[in-house]
Amino acid sequence: MLDQLSRIWAKYSFVYWKGLLGTLWLSAVTVFFATLLGTVLAVLKLSKFKPAQWIVDIYVEIIRGTPVLLQIYFFWLLLPRLASIELTDTQSIIIALVVNASAYVCEIIRAGIQAVDVGQQEAGLSLGLTEFHTFMRIILPQAIKNILPALVNEFINMIKQTSLASVFFINELTTSYRTVQSTTFLAIPALLISGIIYFVVTFTLTRGLNFFEKRLKANDR
Amino acid sequence: MTDKHSFEIFKVIDLHKSFTNVDVLKGINATVKEGETVSVIGPSGGGKSTFLRCLNLLEKPNSGSILYKGTDILNLPNKKAVSSYRQKIGMVFQHFNVFPHLTVLDNITLSPILEKKMPKNEAEDKAKELLNRVGLYDKIAEYPTRLSGGQKQRLAIIRALAMEPEVMLYDEPTSALDPEMVKEVLQVIQDLALSGMTTIIVTHEMGFAKLVSDRVMFIDGGLIVEEGSPEQFFESPQNERTREFLSKVL
Repeated sequence: MLDQLSRIWAKYSFVYWKGLLGTLWLSAVTVFFATLLGTVLAVLKLSKFKPAQWIVDIYVEIIRGTPVLLQIYFFWLLLPRLASIELTDTQSIIIALVVNASAYVCEIIRAGIQAVDVGQQEAGLSLGLTEFHTFMRIILPQAIKNILPALVNEFINMIKQTSLASVFFINELTTSYRTVQSTTFLAIPALLISGIIYFVVTFTLTRGLNFFEKRLKANDR
Repeated sequence: MTDKHSFEIFKVIDLHKSFTNVDVLKGINATVKEGETVSVIGPSGGGKSTFLRCLNLLEKPNSGSILYKGTDILNLPNKKAVSSYRQKIGMVFQHFNVFPHLTVLDNITLSPILEKKMPKNEAEDKAKELLNRVGLYDKIAEYPTRLSGGQKQRLAIIRALAMEPEVMLYDEPTSALDPEMVKEVLQVIQDLALSGMTTIIVTHEMGFAKLVSDRVMFIDGGLIVEEGSPEQFFESPQNERTREFLSKVL
């Protein structure tokens, strides 16, 4: 087995490197836009405007209540019909991944903000701080401590979910496995290499997060 | 004491407040004069805290009016006016509500710098003076998690004072404290009240209410059941409910 692993790596490492680049690129784009969209959704959800709250509720429930693979198929089938511009498979999938992750990001941010003790807001307001200053200077700095760890977990989820793009043979790590497997017919070693690379990426991120979390908790008890 | 008590700071008229089908305040009428110290006592759930929180608009009353120096604060034109009003009303909470992500110094200087546009060095000088006054100067660079309950509450009091309020409201300021820390907090409140600060305090510390107040209000069932000077109130209460309450707590 080790022998097979090293032979595949020696000959096809370029396929995996290319796949890793694809995975990192897909992840970066998804993380960026999902965080942006998720933040907007969370702001709407926390607004005092009831219809906006309902819309976000329905959005989040539907996205969280259906499988991400189904959502990818759905957007892949639907978007080319709706959009007058031609969308590539990659674009459809990115949109599906962003929509999916944004629902989770929205919930993470909402929960993080609502977890800040209501007394903090009252104290800010009672000092005569405006609602905006109370949010920016009192609530948000404390909410970020709640949000960041969960958000980085969600980033890791997003990275793993980009593997679903292999369904459409878009360049990323799981597609690399499929490429190597179909040329060498050595399925398990080819898969293991992809798995190891995923693990190295996510493990590095998790470790980095833990370090960061400890720094954040420095002035907590 | 009579002349400084002549000016009405608060005049509350027929104040009603309900939370989803529960009437908490059922027509409060009260006046508080400048420089006066008023203790608000009564059983839990009677409406004391809600009354206090209405005074700085943390709760929005359903009807009635609250005149602050003659202006009805329930009809302020915008949020800016509400913030400006709150700057004149210092509030201290049962659970301190100090800001855990800011140092002791920043807890105090945050709102003067942001809302009063006070220069940073001026705000810090003032904060240091206040810290000295309550014996917390050596904690200036600490985060609040390193403070005891009594220290946190003293910090909360001077944080409010940094905005130079005209009135101080205290909502059970010692109820969450360990017994040995109650005195240090009450001492600060008493010193302030004696220096002429208009003070309204919701409290269960009967000894303190007796000692410091000019007037005691007994709120139960959403109404002011009885009020009077501490001597009259504690020595010869007129109302049956007041007598019952005092017999339980004294």
